[in-house]
Amino acid sequence: MITGSDGQSRPAGSPKKPLISIKNVGLSYGNFQALTDVSVDFYQGELVGLVGDNGAGKTTLIRIISGIIPPTSGEVYFDGERIIKFHPKKAIDLGLECIQQAIGLCDNLSVGRNYFLGREPVRRILGLPFLDKKKIREASAKVVHDFGLRDSVDVDDEIALLSGGEKQTFKIARAVTFRNRVIIMDEPTNHLSVRERTRVNELAVQLKQQGLLVIYITHDIFQIHRIADRIVILENGRKVTDVPRDAMSAEALEGIIRDGSRTSTKEPKVS
Amino acid sequence: MRKLLKRPDLGIIIGCLFIFALFTLYDPAQWFNWGTVSNIGEYTAILGLLAIGQSFVVLIREIDLSVGSVYGIVGIAFVGLENNNVSDVLAFVLAMLLALLVGLVNAALVIRGKLSSMIVTLGGLFFYRGLIYIITHGAVTGVPQAVRQNWFAQLLGGHSLRIQNGFLLLLILGFLCAVTLHETRFGNHLLALGGDPASAESRGVPLGKVRTIAFALCSLFAGLSAIVTLTNDPETSVSLGTGMELEAIAAVVVGGTLLTGGRGTMLGTILGSFFLTAVRSEIIALGAPPSWYVSFVGIALLTLVTINTLLLKRLRISG
Ligand SMILES: Nc1ncnc2c1ncn2[C@@H]1O[C@H](COP(=O)(O)OP(=O)(O)O)[C@@H](O)[C@H]1O
Ligand SMILES: [Mg+2]
Repeated sequence: MITGSDGQSRPAGSPKKPLISIKNVGLSYGNFQALTDVSVDFYQGELVGLVGDNGAGKTTLIRIISGIIPPTSGEVYFDGERIIKFHPKKAIDLGLECIQQAIGLCDNLSVGRNYFLGREPVRRILGLPFLDKKKIREASAKVVHDFGLRDSVDVDDEIALLSGGEKQTFKIARAVTFRNRVIIMDEPTNHLSVRERTRVNELAVQLKQQGLLVIYITHDIFQIHRIADRIVILENGRKVTDVPRDAMSAEALEGIIRDGSRTSTKEPKVS
Repeated sequence: MRKLLKRPDLGIIIGCLFIFALFTLYDPAQWFNWGTVSNIGEYTAILGLLAIGQSFVVLIREIDLSVGSVYGIVGIAFVGLENNNVSDVLAFVLAMLLALLVGLVNAALVIRGKLSSMIVTLGGLFFYRGLIYIITHGAVTGVPQAVRQNWFAQLLGGHSLRIQNGFLLLLILGFLCAVTLHETRFGNHLLALGGDPASAESRGVPLGKVRTIAFALCSLFAGLSAIVTLTNDPETSVSLGTGMELEAIAAVVVGGTLLTGGRGTMLGTILGSFFLTAVRSEIIALGAPPSWYVSFVGIALLTLVTINTLLLKRLRISG
């Protein structure tokens, strides 16, 4: 392994620049400090497990990365460029897609309209832009089919009719088909059946193999240890661990999470 | 058939068919009288224009209580300019700019001030009404007779083939707004914001911009409605538009638009306006005191909202 100048480890043989670089980021909600001095790099083509107990600040960190909230202090770089203006649209334009449990689909809109929400295709009639409903229908129907959703799903139906697992699969499908560079999944398997969970994890690995950066958030260390390349642990808003998967067993990592408050912020030595 | 059953405006379509059949059977002489039709058309246009604007705001989970006062102040500004020898086209443009300004102020207070639209526009309701009294000292004159004969005033307030131009304007603008709502990116963003703001935002929908346009459209339609009213019927007073905000909201809700946003149609809003207007006209025709209408609006509101809710539940269950 190579240890970077900032003391972070990354896979050997990839002396690349990080795709996303978080430097000394802090965030407070009012006077509650949700993140404190968090620095972490993410590289293209890796699957990073971002782990920590409920309330550790995982969602807060990815809300910053996906442009929903600006950090109170510190810096965020994407592909070497410092992000000054934090806006979801900007993150999407940079090719970053965040899949969140409760957010991302408007229940009142059709499956097709949800698929294209924010990037609706238009065709011009008399020079005026109108929604290209044919394209919306066909492209979303193809995705519904390719990702093995029920055949009875009609893309003109409201998305509210889909089950939780179907919605989650649909969100991942949407993220994949729009050729993104970064896919962030926030607790993607909560409330899913065992089979649906396996399916989502398979998708995460496939995405990484296609060269994407996948940040996978969970509080289940055993599940993520099986598929991740690297594990980052947050505890009370601080990064406490950042190790390649092979450097520590799932049991050892679980111990860190369990005794989080007693662990120092120093990273385990890896060389 | 399945498509029809899913329409948010199914309740009001049935409601309109029902009163149409009822009045036809019960009071055909009155109902099929051109004078009646003409009156209903005129007031449907006025209420409908207000309600279309209100629909945009209700569809994004907000409310605009200021439209009655905006209707008043824009109308009075229009008349005032005309009486000061400003040309009618210019008076129209300036009055509409005033409406736009009000809409932008409402939007800015809601978005930047992070205030509830109910509070902001309730403030607007009082503020603009008060402003009317301050500016006019309680006395206003109508649109001058000479001006009413001009082509421009005739365009908004006159007739084509015996049909009020205001009513035709309602149909044209209603159609354009329906197309905007269901066939454009802006419409999709508006519905998304109304359905689930957090999800819409996460997909990059510019919430501030959509909200601003919705409030601006609402005020512009209120202003337009006032000018259509005044070019047709020159009588005016400082109380112009009082209470119309609630009638417009009632028309929107009766028309099947959910106050919780994200679901509704412009057809429903226009039919809702027609429904309330037609029943008012019939109540007056039957010799009942006009004040009964107020109670009727309450009954119609509860009945249709109940029907709409039941239809929606059935839809959600059956898929
Ligand atoms: N919008 C908010 N306002 C105030 N506090 C918040 C907000 N969002 C999250 N928090 C708090 O910040 C902490 C971290 O939350 P979060 O990032 O959601 O944790 P995780 O995703 O790791 O479970 C929690 O204590 C939570 O209560
Ligand atoms: Mg979380």
